[in-house]
Amino acid sequence: MTDVGTLVLTGYGLNCDHETAYAFELAGSRASRVHINALIDGSVSLDGFQIMVFGGGFSWGDDHGAGVIQAVRMKTHLGEQIISFIEKGNLVIGICNGFQTLVNLGLLPGLDNDYRRRSVALTVNDCGNFRNDWVTLRANPASNCVFTRNMDILELPVRHGEGKFFSDDATLKRLAENNQIALCYAAADGGPADGRFPENPNGSLLDIAGICDPTGRVFGLMPHPEAYNHFTNHPQWTRQKEVLKRTGKPLADKLTPGVQLLKNGVDYLK
Amino acid sequence: MPYRLEISLKPDLGDAEGEGVRRKAANYFGIYADKIRTVHIVTLDADLSPDELTVIQNEVFTNPVTQVSSYDPLPVEFDWTVWVGFRPGVKDNPGGTAMEAIEDILHRKLPADAAAYTSKRYCIVGSKITHDDVNRIATEILANDIIQQWNIFSSSQWDMKKGVGIVIPRVILDHTPTVTTIPMSSDAVLRQISDERNLALNPKDIPIIRSYFLDPVVMNQRKKVGLSDPTDIELEYISQARSDHCNHNTFRGLFRFRNGDTGEETLIDNLFKTCIQAPTLALKDVKDWVVSVLWDNAGAGRFDEDHYYVITGETHNSPSNMEAYGGAITGIVGVYRDPLGTGKGSRLVLGGYGFCVGPRDYRGDLKPRLTPKRLLDGVIEGVRDGGNKSGIPTTFGQVLFHPGYMGKCLVFVTAVGMMPARIKGKPAEEKTTSPGDLIVMCGGRVGKDGIHGVTASSEVYSEHTPAGHVQIGDPYTQKKMHDFLLEARDEGLIEFITDNGGGGLSSSIGESALYANGCEVELDKVPLKYDGLDQWEIWVSESQERMTVAVNPRNIDRFLSLSRRHAVESTVIGRYTDTGKLHIFWKGKTCAFVDLDLLTKGFPQWEFEAFWNPPEKRGLYEPVIGEPSAYGPLLLDILARPNIASREWITRQYDHEVQGTSVIKPLVGADRDMPSDASVNRPVLNSSRGLAFAQALIPQYSAIDAYHMTACTIDEAVRRIIAVGGTVDHIGGVDNFCWPNISHDRLSNPDGRHKAAQLVRSCMALKDMCLAYGIPLLSGKDSMYVDGYLTGKYGEAHKVSALETLQFSTIGLVQDVGRCVAMDVKLPGDRVYVLGITADELGGSEYYEHLGHVGLNVPKVHPEKFMSLYKALSDVIREGFAASAHGIYRGGLAVHGAMAAMGGNLGMTIDLGKIPSDKPLRNDTLLFSETPGRFIVTVSPDNTEKFEARLEGIPCACIGLVTGQPDYIVRDADGRTLIHVPVAQLKQAWKKTFGDLK
Repeated sequence: MTDVGTLVLTGYGLNCDHETAYAFELAGSRASRVHINALIDGSVSLDGFQIMVFGGGFSWGDDHGAGVIQAVRMKTHLGEQIISFIEKGNLVIGICNGFQTLVNLGLLPGLDNDYRRRSVALTVNDCGNFRNDWVTLRANPASNCVFTRNMDILELPVRHGEGKFFSDDATLKRLAENNQIALCYAAADGGPADGRFPENPNGSLLDIAGICDPTGRVFGLMPHPEAYNHFTNHPQWTRQKEVLKRTGKPLADKLTPGVQLLKNGVDYLK
Repeated sequence: MPYRLEISLKPDLGDAEGEGVRRKAANYFGIYADKIRTVHIVTLDADLSPDELTVIQNEVFTNPVTQVSSYDPLPVEFDWTVWVGFRPGVKDNPGGTAMEAIEDILHRKLPADAAAYTSKRYCIVGSKITHDDVNRIATEILANDIIQQWNIFSSSQWDMKKGVGIVIPRVILDHTPTVTTIPMSSDAVLRQISDERNLALNPKDIPIIRSYFLDPVVMNQRKKVGLSDPTDIELEYISQARSDHCNHNTFRGLFRFRNGDTGEETLIDNLFKTCIQAPTLALKDVKDWVVSVLWDNAGAGRFDEDHYYVITGETHNSPSNMEAYGGAITGIVGVYRDPLGTGKGSRLVLGGYGFCVGPRDYRGDLKPRLTPKRLLDGVIEGVRDGGNKSGIPTTFGQVLFHPGYMGKCLVFVTAVGMMPARIKGKPAEEKTTSPGDLIVMCGGRVGKDGIHGVTASSEVYSEHTPAGHVQIGDPYTQKKMHDFLLEARDEGLIEFITDNGGGGLSSSIGESALYANGCEVELDKVPLKYDGLDQWEIWVSESQERMTVAVNPRNIDRFLSLSRRHAVESTVIGRYTDTGKLHIFWKGKTCAFVDLDLLTKGFPQWEFEAFWNPPEKRGLYEPVIGEPSAYGPLLLDILARPNIASREWITRQYDHEVQGTSVIKPLVGADRDMPSDASVNRPVLNSSRGLAFAQALIPQYSAIDAYHMTACTIDEAVRRIIAVGGTVDHIGGVDNFCWPNISHDRLSNPDGRHKAAQLVRSCMALKDMCLAYGIPLLSGKDSMYVDGYLTGKYGEAHKVSALETLQFSTIGLVQDVGRCVAMDVKLPGDRVYVLGITADELGGSEYYEHLGHVGLNVPKVHPEKFMSLYKALSDVIREGFAASAHGIYRGGLAVHGAMAAMGGNLGMTIDLGKIPSDKPLRNDTLLFSETPGRFIVTVSPDNTEKFEARLEGIPCACIGLVTGQPDYIVRDADGRTLIHVPVAQLKQAWKKTFGDLK
C-alpha cells in the first residue's frame, strides 16, 4: 500500500478545504490543508504530495470572474512548479472554484500538451443567479480521466453562479473527440440533459460538467464530490432509507459516490 | 495618470447580468427594453507603463474565450447608457481585489495612493424607452444614491472617445485631526452640544456625566494628564456605552404595567433580569449541557466531550431599509463575527435569516424609500453574497410580508459556530484580558463608516465626501481573517477576542478592558482607509471586518507572522493595564482619561408606562362567517398566499451545503422542493451527532395579544426541532425582539403604552415558555424602534409601525443523524396520524386574514400538556416508527397536510371526523385553526401498533392514508368530500405566486 499525499489549497476566500481534506482521507489518502502562501514562500513543497486539489470557494471574492485572480497568483508564483508536478505523473483536481481556476490557468483542457493557454471558460449561469441543487451526472466510459473510471451515473450537488462551460465549436469538437469530456449533466434517468434547466443547471454547452486533460490526470468539475461524503448528504436519503427499511435492508454503509470519485484518483496512484 | 478599462462579453454571448436587469425593468415597472448589456469598468488611478497596461488588460481583466476589452470605450450598441459607480468611501470590494491581482502580476507594490475603482455601464436598447424610463431604471434598479453615483447618456450625446469619462471616487478629507474639548458649564449647555454633535446623550444621563467630570478628585487626576473638560472622544465613549444598542436600556428599564381588565398596577424592574436572565440561570443549573451564557458574544452549548457549539442572532434593520443589499450583507457578515469572537474563537458552521417586508406587489399610495420588491431583492442578494462568499451554509430562514414593515423592514441574521472544548489544555469558552496583554486590531481598516450620521448631516456633500453611514460588508476580507484567527487560536495565541461592530473600538476595547481593569490605546497607530479622520471618529467608527484581540507579548511575533501568511492586516494599537482607566493617546498626548467604572455609577434607569387592555376590550371579536362550500378553491387560494407560497427561488440562491455537513436540507421531498421543518447538520464530520436548527416568526398574532404571539412562536420553533428528530432534553433558544417604539407620546406615539404592555407580556411569555420547555436563552438581541414615516398621496406623512415581532431560533442536539426524519410522506399505504388536540383558534390565522378578518380566539400554548407529546414523538422517531413528521403551523391542518403530500408527490386522504378536538368543531375550523402543539406523522402499516402503543395517553388519531393516486382528499364526519384536488394542482398553486423568480 503506497502512501498518497493530497494537498488541499486554502486561503484567500477558498472555503471547502475542511470537507475536501476529510473526503480525501475517507478516500484513503493523507490529506493536508495548505495555505496558498505557504506554497509560494516555500515553507511547504509540492514534493511531498501526489494529488493537488484546487477546491471550492470564492477566491478573491470571485471578483473579475470566478477563479481569475487565483489563477493569476498561482501562475505568477507557481505556474511552472505545477506543470512539472503534472509531468511527474501526479494528479490535479479542480472542484468548482478550482475548476474555474484550472481553466483560467490553462491547465485545462491542455490541448496539444499546452498547459498555459486559456481556450475554454466557465461563465455566468444562464439562469443569471447562484444556484444550489443536486444534479444527475453521467461519466464518459471512453474518457481516460482517472477520477471517473468505472463510474456511470451518479448524483452530486452543484453550488455556483459561474458554471456554464463555454468554448468555440472547434475546441468543443476536439474535446469530444479526445474524450476529454469526462462528466456531463444528465436527466434523472441518466439520459442526456440536452441543455434543459434544471437538469443542466447552468446552460453548459454539450451539458459539460467536468473535463480532463489529454492524460486524464488533470480533472476539473463543477459539482462537489466532497459534499457527498456521508449517506445523509443525499437530498432524498430519508426516502431511500424508508424504502430499504421496508425490505429489511439497512441504508448501505459503503462509500458514497462522491468519495468513490476521489478514491479513484487515490487508487490510481497506489 | 488614470486609465479606464472597459470589459464586456463578446457580442455573440448572452449576457445574463444584463438580461436580469431587463427582466427586473419589465417585472417592476412594465418597462420593456429589447436588450440590455453590461460593460464592466475598472478605473486605474496609478502610474503604469504601456507594457504594464497590456499585461493587466490581458492577464487579469480579460478572458480571451469570453470577453473583449479596451482602454477606449467599447462600441456596444445602445439607445441609452447608464453608468453606475460607487460614491467616495463606499467599500469597493472588486476594486480592492483588482489591486491585489495587479501588484501580483506586475511583481511590484504600487504606491499607497494608487487605487482601482470598479463601475459599470448598462447599454440599453429599445426604441420606445424614454429618458424617464431610463431614469427609473437607473434610480430604482441600478443605483442607490446613498452609496452610488450615476450618469445617463443617450446615444446622440455619446462621445465615442470620452465615453463615460473618468471618475475617481477617491476620498479626500482636507482636515487635520483635532480633539475638541466640550464645555459643560451647565446641563443645558451640555445638552445643546449633545444635540448639535449628534451625541445622543440621554438628558437624564447628563447630570451624572457632569458630576463625574466636576468631581475634584477626577479633575485633579485629569489635570495631571493635561485634560480639563471632557473631550469629544470621552463623551462619544460614554454615549456609545450608554446607548440602547449597547446597554439595552429598554429591556433594563422600569415598567409601570397597568392592567385595564383588573385595574391592577404592577412594577416590573428590568425585563432582561426577570424574564431572560433569571430563567436562563435557573436552567443552566439543571442542564449540564449549557456551557456559557449571558456574557459573551454568543452562548455556548455542549455538542460532545470535545466540541461546543455557539449561537447568536442579530438584526440589521435600519441600514437595510436605506440600502437593502449593503445593509443585509453587512448584517450577515457582521453576525458571523460574533461566534468568531466567542470564547477564544469559534468556526462558523451555519447561518439563518428572516426578512419581514411590505407586500411584494404593493400598489398603494405610500411611498417607501425602496419599493418592497426592490428591497426584498436587495436583502436576498445581500444575505446570499454574505453567506455564500463566507463559505457558511445558510440552512434556514423565513420571509414574511406585512404592510407594517413598509415603515422599516426587518432583516434577522443568525449564526452558529463550533469551538473545541479545550485549546492547549485550557477551556476554550473562557477568555480574559490581563495587564500587559497587547491590544491588536485585525482585519479591515478604519474609515468614516457607520458613524452616527454626524458626518452625513453636518457636512456639505462634495464629489469627495465619503458616504459613510451605510456600508457594504466584505466577506472576502473577513473569511481570510476568520481562517487566520482560528489558526492563531489553535496555536494558543489568543487570550481574548471580540468583534468590532456597533460602537467600534469604543465598545470592543472599552468592554474587554474591564477584565484587566484598564487600557492604554495609541489611536494614531490604527490603520486608516484615508487620512483626515478626527480621533473620536477613529474611536467610534463601525468599519466592518475587524476584530480586537488580546495577545500576550511573548506570542506577538508568531501572531503577526501568521497574520501575514494569511494576508490579513493586524496592528498593535495599545495594551491592557490595571489602572482602572481608559487612557487614549494621540501621538503621545492624552486625549481621553476616564474611569472604566464610570458606567456603573448610578446612571438612571429608563422608565416606561405600559397599559394593557385585553383584546375584547379593544373591540376585537370573532367574525361572523358562514361555513364555506368551495373548500378546494379556498385551499388553492390559501396555498398561493404570499406568506404560505413556495420561496424556493430564495433557498436555491443560498449555498446550504458548503462544508459538506448537510443532513436535512432546507428543501426536502421527492422533488427537493418542500421547506423542511428544521435543518440538520453534522458540524463535526467524523461524528454521527448533529445540530438541528429552526426559527419561527408569527407576528400576526400580536394584533390580538403579544403574549400568545410569543408563546406560539416559541412552541413552533420547538416543534420544528422535534419534527426532524431532536429532543426536548436539549434545545437552546435565541430571542430576537423587533418592536415599535414603546415610549408613550400623546402626539407622536399615542399607542406607546399599549406597545409597552405588549413587550411586557411578550417577555412574560418568553419566561413562562422557556421554563416550561426547559429552553435556556443562549443569546438574544432587541431592536426597539421599528417605525417609519411614509409619504402618502397628498404629501402627508404617515407613521407606519411594525407588528410587535419576535423571531425565535432554536438549536437542538441530535444524537444520531441517521435517525432524522423529514416532512414528506414516503410510501402509499402509510397511515396518516394527527398528534395533538385541535381547538377553535382561528384568531389571527391565515384563513381569517384571507377573508379580511383578525378575530379574537388567538391560539394558546399549553406547555404542560404538549411536553409529554413532544417527548413521546421524539421517542418514536428515534425508534424509527415515523416515516415522516411535520408540524402543523400557519395555515393549519389543510395547508400542512397538503405540504406533506406534496413532499412525497403522493395522495392523501383525511377524515375530519377523526381529528382529536376539544369540542365539536366546524369543518373550516378543523382545517384552518392554527392551534399549536400538533403534528402530522405518517407511519408504515407494519409499525402502527408499536407507534400507537408508544403514544398511549397522548392525544393522537389515525385520520387517513397516504395513497398512490396523487389526489388530496378531505372528507367531513359524514363522509362528504370537501376537498378533492390533484396534488400536482396544489403544488402548482403553491408555486405560481413567485414562480417566475429565479
